[in-house]
Amino acid sequence: MFVLFCPHCREKREEEEFGYGGEAFRVRPVAPETADDETWGDYLFMRKNPKGWHWELWTHTTGCRKFFVVKRNTATNAIAGSWTLAEGRNVYDAEGGAG
Amino acid sequence: MREPIPQSPLHAFGLASQARAVDEGCGVWANEIALLGYISLRGNSADPAFVNKVTSVTGVPLPVEPCSFATSGGIKVLWLSPDEWIIVCGGHRLSDILGGLRSGLEGIRSQIADNSGGYTQVLLKGRNALDVLQHASVYDFASLAPGRVVGTTFGKSSVYAHRMDEGFCLLVRRSFADYIWRYLARAAAPYGLGIAALEATGHAGHGVAA
Ligand SMILES: [Zn+2]
Repeated sequence: MFVLFCPHCREKREEEEFGYGGEAFRVRPVAPETADDETWGDYLFMRKNPKGWHWELWTHTTGCRKFFVVKRNTATNAIAGSWTLAEGRNVYDAEGGAG
Repeated sequence: MREPIPQSPLHAFGLASQARAVDEGCGVWANEIALLGYISLRGNSADPAFVNKVTSVTGVPLPVEPCSFATSGGIKVLWLSPDEWIIVCGGHRLSDILGGLRSGLEGIRSQIADNSGGYTQVLLKGRNALDVLQHASVYDFASLAPGRVVGTTFGKSSVYAHRMDEGFCLLVRRSFADYIWRYLARAAAPYGLGIAALEATGHAGHGVAA
């Protein structure tokens, strides 16, 4: 169990209020109808699944019901921060799109 | 065809007929604030035209601060998310507020939905009201400041809660009202649960006039 800061409600709340949304900033192939099977299969099924820092989506299910991004360490549950999608995208890009 | 008759989702509990004046005999007092008007409103809180128009129609300054609410003239407006609010009003005010919003917000990106059948409210007070909420939810209600509204867990469901009348007001979805009332009544049983007469609590002036 941990506490997450919701960047929309601007409050720290118990994990139980949130739902997990998986890896953040995944890019959908621009033209799925022309993507080859490997590209489309990677998009659908393959995830980074790191041991360590991970950018991920959460949704504030019982509160504002908005999605936001969290940078969480999957090994220790340490949380580096949480941001709206737009703010988080800037931080993610500034880090070179990695953990 | 007969006119539809509004019916509370908690009508089967017969709360109105059990209501009595609050005294020291019970640790928890509760009742449903039944059959009000509920309007779901969505729009851009950064657009002054939207904010000003909504404020002028409802007479309540639109709360744009996260997790806040405002009341004025028997109308209550709760912030639910950065682009979503719920307006609570007496049933007799519903059609003029809906009409005012629909005409006033024409051409302004927004959404207005009459959700009056979709919600109800429960008032919870008494010396053990806080204990009941702590049994039911992960939120630390002791830290809930006046003027704040939070969406949080309630059993396996969720509620929006704010302080009211030295107690709490819970906004619940119709589909979960039965579950939430039963959960609340069971959690309150060890402290003694009384059904509070609403008129005697002075609730009607608190933005929820019937
Ligand atoms: Zn939130």
